[in-house]
Amino acid sequence: MTAFLDNTLSGLALGAVYALVALGFVVIFKASGVLNFAQGSLLLLGGYLVAVLHDDLGFAGALAVAVLATGLLAGAVDRLLLQRGGPDPAAAPVQTIVTIGVDIVLVTELSRRIGGDLLSLGDPWGDAVTEIGPVTVADSRIAAIAVSAVVIGAVFALFRFTPWGLSLRAAAEDTEAAALMGVRLSRVRMLAWCLAGALAALAAVFLAAFPAPGLERTTGQIALKAFPAAILGGMASPAGALAGSLVIGLTEAFVAGYQSDLHVLGEGVGDVAPYAVMIAVLLVRPTGLFGAKGAVRV
Amino acid sequence: MNDRTTAPPPALAVRDVTVRFAGLTALDAVSFTVAPGSVHALIGPNGAGKSTCFNVLSGLCRPAAGRVLLGDTELTGRPPHRIAALGVARTFQNIVTTAGTVADNLMLGRHALSRAGFTASALGLPRARREQREHLARAREIAELVGLGAHFDAPVALLSYGDRKRVELARALCLEPRVLLLDEPVAGMNGAERARTAEVVGTVREQLGLSVVLVEHDMGLVMRLADEVTVLDFGRPIAHGTPDEVRRHPEVLRAYLGTGADEEDAA
Amino acid sequence: MSDPIRRTVRLLPPVLLLVALPFYLDAFWLRIGLFSMAAAIGAVGLGLLCGTAGQLSLGHAFFLAVGAYGYTWFAGDPGLGLPPLLALLLAVLLAGAAGGLFSPVAGRVKGIYLGVATLALVFLGHHVLLTADSVTGGFNGRSVPPLTVGSFAFDLEPQLVVLGVPFGAEERLWYLGLALFALTWWTARGLLRGRPGRALTALRDSETAASVMGVDVARYRSAAFVVSSMYAGLAGAFLALAFRRVVPDYFGLTLSVDYLAMIVIGGLGSVAGATAGAVFVTALPLLMTRYADQLPLVASPGTTDGGVGPTEAARYLYGAAIVVILLFAPDGLHGLVRRLRARLRRRTGPGRPPSAAAPGPAPAPTPSASAVRTKEHTP
Repeated sequence: MTAFLDNTLSGLALGAVYALVALGFVVIFKASGVLNFAQGSLLLLGGYLVAVLHDDLGFAGALAVAVLATGLLAGAVDRLLLQRGGPDPAAAPVQTIVTIGVDIVLVTELSRRIGGDLLSLGDPWGDAVTEIGPVTVADSRIAAIAVSAVVIGAVFALFRFTPWGLSLRAAAEDTEAAALMGVRLSRVRMLAWCLAGALAALAAVFLAAFPAPGLERTTGQIALKAFPAAILGGMASPAGALAGSLVIGLTEAFVAGYQSDLHVLGEGVGDVAPYAVMIAVLLVRPTGLFGAKGAVRV
Repeated sequence: MNDRTTAPPPALAVRDVTVRFAGLTALDAVSFTVAPGSVHALIGPNGAGKSTCFNVLSGLCRPAAGRVLLGDTELTGRPPHRIAALGVARTFQNIVTTAGTVADNLMLGRHALSRAGFTASALGLPRARREQREHLARAREIAELVGLGAHFDAPVALLSYGDRKRVELARALCLEPRVLLLDEPVAGMNGAERARTAEVVGTVREQLGLSVVLVEHDMGLVMRLADEVTVLDFGRPIAHGTPDEVRRHPEVLRAYLGTGADEEDAA
Repeated sequence: MSDPIRRTVRLLPPVLLLVALPFYLDAFWLRIGLFSMAAAIGAVGLGLLCGTAGQLSLGHAFFLAVGAYGYTWFAGDPGLGLPPLLALLLAVLLAGAAGGLFSPVAGRVKGIYLGVATLALVFLGHHVLLTADSVTGGFNGRSVPPLTVGSFAFDLEPQLVVLGVPFGAEERLWYLGLALFALTWWTARGLLRGRPGRALTALRDSETAASVMGVDVARYRSAAFVVSSMYAGLAGAFLALAFRRVVPDYFGLTLSVDYLAMIVIGGLGSVAGATAGAVFVTALPLLMTRYADQLPLVASPGTTDGGVGPTEAARYLYGAAIVVILLFAPDGLHGLVRRLRARLRRRTGPGRPPSAAAPGPAPAPTPSASAVRTKEHTP
């Protein structure tokens, strides 16, 4: 029972963090039709900035700068590179591959700087734990769940109540009509990218926090696990991405938690379980769990 | 080349076909029969369901109710490529050509009639080469027939609008169809090009003896080519008959001709 | 009928050059050649899938691994210990079968979404390679049995001297690579110019048009995936022969992305382009490592204090190349060469045949000093 609660809590924490990244995927996809393969390197950049700045600025200051800078960089990537030919959604496949190029450059540079080191982000939770009934939870996990819940709530409110959110939804429905109605597509897009970058930077903090040993050059790859989460949710649905993230997080936590019973599957099977889940879902529903038929743009 | 072109085509029967999109009824119990070897026009205002009807006939859209029969063969529920293999070819309202030359596009039309698979093509087996040669020769004939002979090896992207529409027509003909579905074949063409396309449609119908289903806003062309006309309005058939009968039909005058007979495409 | 003859004549000089090279180049250059050939084989396969059929795959490394490990297991011990040539063939088929197993996904998930789905193959595959150590040797991998045909081995022994030049493993494998690459080139061209190629192109440009013209969309999508997996399998098996050892970490996501870079840099949808891109992406880091001390801004390999190492410099270059090419010259090197050639032809007037196209305009930045070095032998 304790193990079950334990796994559930770590699954929720993990899912909450994936949800931050997956929401980024979905926002970008809705706004531009692009699958952003550079999300992982943006995440790594965010974490790296916090790691190098927290000594001077303190954790909160470093985090603010990192979130802002990563968001701005993501926006710049979209505005200066991807949108060169205008915000044309027909160019989305090509732009998707451009993000892979961007990712190569960013990851190479950050890996070179990080090298084999484990960077501490100087977060306030450290390795503190809290006892909740029979289970012991790392404070960082509680923080991950709480912060993600607040941020995700805010993002949903952005979608629903701001002019930008309206424009974004209009653009995702029908780009041409939205443009005719005066939606400034290029700005809507760029802001979506900024938001996704900021979310990735925030996620980095929790991915590098205890019980993880710190920020490594491979931390960015963890962001790729948010892809299955977003795909599970049908790629275009924020609520779907949230649900998908929780599914992925819980799967990973439970598979890792019961690894000793699953030892035939090998060590670290928890890390690859999300991908197995994704394949299984795609086999049954090629457009994802929550993807309506035809929700995927051609 | 293909023996099924010599036999008269079977009748194409549409029986009570109903299509709904998210609560909207796009086609409401539509029935008509295309007599073997005839030209059957499908007219109506924009949004009347003509293109949806074509999508049902070519298998791109599955009706909620009703059936489509080609002779004794049920078409309903079959995937598009099977319907193509049965000899139903179509063109699109907005041009849909693929990369490459006119020849490449027409050879795509020969896909269902040829056999060379991955292995035979990869290894360049003699039968694959022979097949390719034969079909290329036939594709060239068809290009000549529609007046694209001079452009046979030209990239499609470099052709004029009218020529690209003709590429679509020729590609559909390359299927050696028994039934040819033409979705606004002269939309956006100038007078000379229209005349030329009308002539081609007349010629292929005579030479190849196929049935033609025609969706077109150009009433002159419809009146000239069609043997029979079905008028759709809001997904419902409101009139059937010869062009002359339909022209005088009060319902048609009210629903269709009244709202502007010569409105062009943009459906 | 003079067309095939003219084509043959035009192909002759580059072919002769490639055949003669092992007599003049030392092992370093030959090894670059071997890796380039392997990469070219794999890139042609990925080009078929991405460039022609319009399906993104990030799972290419997985199928390379299947080919590499498949060959090793079929030919080696532990394993079936089959005759190596048969093992090579089976490895290719195994990769194809693996691609086929994925076809329920590959046939229904399209375009860039397939890219995400295939991520799973790389991570799951890597996990299996680490876990199934009785077959794969686990983290340390296993050594690869050399290819033998009859009593002839593509290895150091038995010793062989041809025209006064000792033929070690690299020289022998060079010819094997050439043969496999020629096979790849020829079959891929046949596919592209034949009925399957047209169907796949149509599928990429308009799924609707393709299906109403009689193309079975799902079947062709999976078939493209299977064929591309088979080329990857062949590339993987040859790579294993060239490396003489297979390790799981080589077949990671980075390798998949490398292959994607190759076909994008070379220009999507052409065999020659994929080859050129393969040579570029493969040779660049190796050359930069070799000449690091002569290059500005690049630190020698091994120095860890913050400088930009040659491998990293190469990655910057081709990461940037992907961005620049897709945004400024979408048809890649292949298109660039074609445009240059067209301009050249216009300038030199008609009647002069365009310069013979080598299989890919190998853009290796050969420093002139080393090009004339006498051949030295490092087995």
